[in-house]
Amino acid sequence: MIVSIKDSVKLFGISIMTCCAVTVCNMFLNYYLDLSAIAGLIDNPYAQMFYDAQIMTSKVVCAVSGGCLAITTVVMLFFYIKHYIDSHSKEIGILKALGYSDFKIAKGFSVFGLSVFLGCFVGYLLSFALMPQFYELQNKDGYLPELSIGYHWILFVLLVIAPTLVFALIAVCNSLLKLRQPCVNLLKGIVKVKGKTKNTKDKKTFVAEMRSSVLRSRKTLVFFIAFSSFCFSAMIQMSASMKDLSSEMMGLMMLIIGVVLAFTTLYIAVTTVIRSNQENIAMMRVFGYDSADCKRSVLDGYRPAAYIGFIIGSVYQYALLRIMVDIVFSGVEGIPEYEFDFLMFFITLAVFIVVYEGIMFAYGQSMKKIPLKQIMSE
Amino acid sequence: MIEINDLTKYYGKGESRFKALDGVSVRINDGEFIVILGASGSGKSTFLNVISGLETSDGGCVAYDSQELGNMSEKELTKFRRENTAYIFQQYYLLPHLNVEKNVRMGADLDNNKDYLKYIKAVGLSDKRKKFPSELSGGEQQRVAIARALAKNPKVLFLDEPTGALDEETGRQVLNYIIRLHEEQGFTMIMVTHNSNIAETADRIIKMNSGKIVSVTENTDKKTAYEIGW
Repeated sequence: MIVSIKDSVKLFGISIMTCCAVTVCNMFLNYYLDLSAIAGLIDNPYAQMFYDAQIMTSKVVCAVSGGCLAITTVVMLFFYIKHYIDSHSKEIGILKALGYSDFKIAKGFSVFGLSVFLGCFVGYLLSFALMPQFYELQNKDGYLPELSIGYHWILFVLLVIAPTLVFALIAVCNSLLKLRQPCVNLLKGIVKVKGKTKNTKDKKTFVAEMRSSVLRSRKTLVFFIAFSSFCFSAMIQMSASMKDLSSEMMGLMMLIIGVVLAFTTLYIAVTTVIRSNQENIAMMRVFGYDSADCKRSVLDGYRPAAYIGFIIGSVYQYALLRIMVDIVFSGVEGIPEYEFDFLMFFITLAVFIVVYEGIMFAYGQSMKKIPLKQIMSE
Repeated sequence: MIEINDLTKYYGKGESRFKALDGVSVRINDGEFIVILGASGSGKSTFLNVISGLETSDGGCVAYDSQELGNMSEKELTKFRRENTAYIFQQYYLLPHLNVEKNVRMGADLDNNKDYLKYIKAVGLSDKRKKFPSELSGGEQQRVAIARALAKNPKVLFLDEPTGALDEETGRQVLNYIIRLHEEQGFTMIMVTHNSNIAETADRIIKMNSGKIVSVTENTDKKTAYEIGW
C-alpha cells in the first residue's frame, strides 16, 4: 500500500480543522437536543422567547461553523491528495507501470479518513469536557428549567463515524480522478502547463513572472492563505464582541479556535509552497538571487489574498453578529447594543500585519537554509 | 584567474568520515575551457561545488582574481555568484511553470540584459520560446538551460555532466552549442564529465581519482563535438 497510516498522521491540518468543527457542533447540537426535550416544560412567553433564541442560535452556529469548516476540510483534503500524488508521482508511476489499476492505488487513499476520525473523535471528547460549563453559561439567568447533559449516540454517528466514512470515500474518488494521467508523466514527474501563446516579448521581470506562476500553479493555497487571515480576523474580533453579547467563555473559545485555525492553515500553506518550490528556490540562489528575491517570488504573491481574507473576515463577523442580535435575539431582554467595533478592528489589523509579515519574513530567511549542494548532487 | 590551493573537503562523521578532496591545487586561466574527468566517486563534482562557492571547503582556498571565497559571507557569496558565475546541470532544472523565454529571463534579469532573445536564437529555439519545459525534448531543455546561463553574461560557466542525460546525437548538438558560445564570448568554462571523449574538446584536462588530481594535461589537439567519439 503506497499510502500508509504514517502519511495520514501528516494530515494534522485536517485533524485540527475537524476537531474544531466537531467540538463546536457537538456542544451546540447536544444542547439543542437536550433543549428540545424540555420544550413542553416552558410555561411563560418570556422563557419561550429565550428558548426559541437558544434553539435558533444552536442551528445558526452549527450551520455556519460546521458548514464553513466542512467545506474547508474538503478543500484541504483535495489539496493534500494532489500534493501527495505530485510528490510521490514516481512511486505511483512505477505501480501503474507494474500493472496496478487506478482503483487499487486510489483505495489506499482511504487511509486519509483516519485523520478525520482522529480530529472528530478528539473534538467529540473535548466538547463533553466543555459542556458542563457551557450549559451553565447558556442558562445562567435561569429563564429555562434545569437542563442536564444527555448522551445522544446519533451525534457520535453523525459527527464522528459519518465524516470518517464520507471523507475516506471522497479521498478515494478524488485520487481516482487525479490518477488518470499517463504512466510516463508520473514516472518522469512531467508538469503539464497550459499557458498563453501570444508571440510578444514579455515585459514582466523574472521575479514578477515567477510570483505569478507560483500563484497559478497552486491556486488552493490562495484559498488557504485567505482562509487563515479570515479566521484570524473574524474570530478575534468576534471573540471581543462575544464577551459582551454572550460570555467570556464563548469569547475565549472563539479566540482559541480562530488562532489555532489561522496558524495551522497558514503553516500548512506556507510550508507547502516553500517545499514545492524548493528546487526553484535553490536554483535561483545558485544563480545569485538573494533570499529577499526568493521571498518576493515565492511568498509575496499571497499578500493580497491575506489582506482580502482579513477584510472579508471583518465583514463576515459583523454581519453574523448583526443577524444574531437583530433577528435571533430580537425581543430578548438584556442583549446590549451592537455596533461595528472600529477600535478592535484596528487593533486586530495591527496585530495581523505584525504577525503575518513577521512570519513571512522568518520563512523568507529560512530559504537561506535550503542546501544548494543538494541540487547539484541530485 | 582562479587559484585553487590545497583544497580539502570531508564528508561524514566518526568512522564513516572520508576525504572527498585531498589537497587539490590548480590554476585556471581566464577564458580557458577545462574538463574535469574522473569516475564516479573521484571527487570531481565536490571539486566543482567547492570552487563555484556552492559548498565550503574544510581546508585550503579558492581565489578569483585575489577575491577569496572562504572569506566571503553568505551575502557576499550570493553577490559573487550573481556577478560572476552561471551553471548548467545534467538535470536542466528549468522552472516548469515558466516558458522558455521566462526561464531565460531568470539569468538575463540578473545582468539587466534586455537582449536575452539573442541567446534563445543562438541555441536555435526562437520558434519555441513560448513553449513550456514539458513540451520540449531533453536536448531542447538543455539548450534552454544553456541560454539561461549565458544570458547573465557570466565570467565563469560551470557545467556538471551537461550531456549526461542525452543521447549521442543530442549530446553532440548540445556540446557543439556550448563550445561555439564559449569561443564567441570568451568566458572561462569548467565542465565535469566521466566521458573521456568529451575531454578532447577542452583546452586542459584535469583527471581526478580518490579526491586528488592525478594529472593535468594540455590538449594540443582540440576537437569539435562532431569529431570526438561518444
